[in-house]
Amino acid sequence: MPRLVLAVIALAVFGVLRAPLEEDLRERLVAANLLLPPPGQGAFEQMSQSALMGTLGGLRSLVATFLTLNAFEHFSTKSWDDLRANYLIITNLEPRDESHWVAVIWHIGINATANMETDLRLPAFERERRFKEYAFQAIDLAERGLAQLPDSAAIRLQLAEVYREKLKDDCATARVYGEIIGLPEAPSYARRFYGYFMARCPGREEEAYEYLMDLYREGERQHLPTLIKEIKNLEEKLAIPSPQRIPDADPDRPQKMPKTPANVLPGGIVVP
Amino acid sequence: MSDDPPPSTEATPRRTPRAAGKAVPIFSLGRVATIAASTVTQLVRMKTFYFLLAFALVVVAVGNFNIPATPAKELSMIKKVAFGTMDIFAWLFAIVATALLIPKDVEDRTLYTILSKPVRRVEYLLGKLCGVLGVIAVSLVAMYAICALVIYSRESLFVSAEYEAMVASAQYTAAEIEEQLSLIQQQGLRAELGIAVLASFFKAAVVAAVTIFLSTFASSSLFTIIVSILLFLIGHAHHMASSFWLHESENNMAVQMLVKVIKILIPNYQLFSFSEGIVQGEAVVAALVWQMGGLTAGYLVVFLLLSLLVFVDKEF
Repeated sequence: MPRLVLAVIALAVFGVLRAPLEEDLRERLVAANLLLPPPGQGAFEQMSQSALMGTLGGLRSLVATFLTLNAFEHFSTKSWDDLRANYLIITNLEPRDESHWVAVIWHIGINATANMETDLRLPAFERERRFKEYAFQAIDLAERGLAQLPDSAAIRLQLAEVYREKLKDDCATARVYGEIIGLPEAPSYARRFYGYFMARCPGREEEAYEYLMDLYREGERQHLPTLIKEIKNLEEKLAIPSPQRIPDADPDRPQKMPKTPANVLPGGIVVP
Repeated sequence: MSDDPPPSTEATPRRTPRAAGKAVPIFSLGRVATIAASTVTQLVRMKTFYFLLAFALVVVAVGNFNIPATPAKELSMIKKVAFGTMDIFAWLFAIVATALLIPKDVEDRTLYTILSKPVRRVEYLLGKLCGVLGVIAVSLVAMYAICALVIYSRESLFVSAEYEAMVASAQYTAAEIEEQLSLIQQQGLRAELGIAVLASFFKAAVVAAVTIFLSTFASSSLFTIIVSILLFLIGHAHHMASSFWLHESENNMAVQMLVKVIKILIPNYQLFSFSEGIVQGEAVVAALVWQMGGLTAGYLVVFLLLSLLVFVDKEF
């Protein structure tokens, strides 16, 4: 038997032996997030030929990076739909890269909507329609991102910005900030922001007052101007009795100057 | 005429045959090291390290892209491009360098000189493989050094700029500044990135072993290079593509058989892409890295033995 045939048979035997071991290793590498699972069917269908070849050839990260640069091109030309399409592939290729999700929510939820507010080439009704469409697309993208990375504080922060700045939905903003509290990379201001937006959410004023007062009682560290102002607003709204109100001055009201005695002239000259 | 042998003379000492002298050991690490060292010299003389210049250009260019992204995102992009390029250079170098070596030795007639000496063919193959792996290792370390330099300089720049901006705005507490800076540092230069380089080395080592096997029966370097690249692409894609094919063909029996044959005969290179996860900032699991090292060693031994099986009786 030719030696080459023998070699192929030996290769096949080695293949049969290593197959289960490799399958087990692959599963464990995927579980440890060191290896990416195969991209979704949708990603294959949307990719260009070169991107597909690159992805199949093990250049997944490189393809994703170059698509990110391509997306920046779409950002420069304000081609929001193309940008979104690019990011759909990118997030399919690297679903566990938080920064891709954050970037696409920022682009669609903040930049595209801002563009719709200012693009005077479009009629007002069309701008309004697209504004809402982009805002809701950003929310949808955030939900997809959170399905991949349930503990992501960064995706939620970006989503909260869309609710806060674009949709002006204080209740939804409060809900998202509330979800951020306790997450591994939650910023410390998330606790305060949860209270601030809850205070502006109709029907939750009492809960917000209790929550903000708890924060206030934590000490000087939490006595920030916005916190004091929100508490002051709630004290007015809920008609909190004066003795129970916080002693701090409302940071938005001009400070009362101490009354100067009538016999003191400007410059501190005392008239006898 | 007498048939008796001529009487020996005591004055002329009898010359003993060579075989009866000092025995040649079956396997010598010294001979392997000599061949490996000559392979390194051979590759260095081919000016293979010039590709480091191209690599440095790619990394520096990516490091200076001016896109509206957070510092962490920008660092992540630099890392991905740098390590992706490093990976490509490593496996491509493994294929081209290995494919050229044996045919070049035949062409230069160096092979005849080597094999006419008491050098076993296994020592020759192992020496060649070790030489290629040595050059790949040095190249990877050099590429990592360039990459680390760029990442570290960008990271320091971003950290100081962010710190100054946050302090100047006077809106953030010290803890918040610390949090923000740690987000940037997470995407910066970390010790774990060394494991990503090791992953690229594992992949390149397996590619080199497969290529040396192909070059033992290939008719030309070009054939070896093309087939090795094709095997690499198939080996990378078969896991991803098989689910797609099976889905498209509704689990057709013929497709299932084809997928099985491919999986058995072609190494699963996708497994060796675990550097991608490390570059993205995932934690390294030491046990898995060891197991991948073991798998790489297994591939090296098996493909070296297969190469020997074909090469041992080959006539030049």
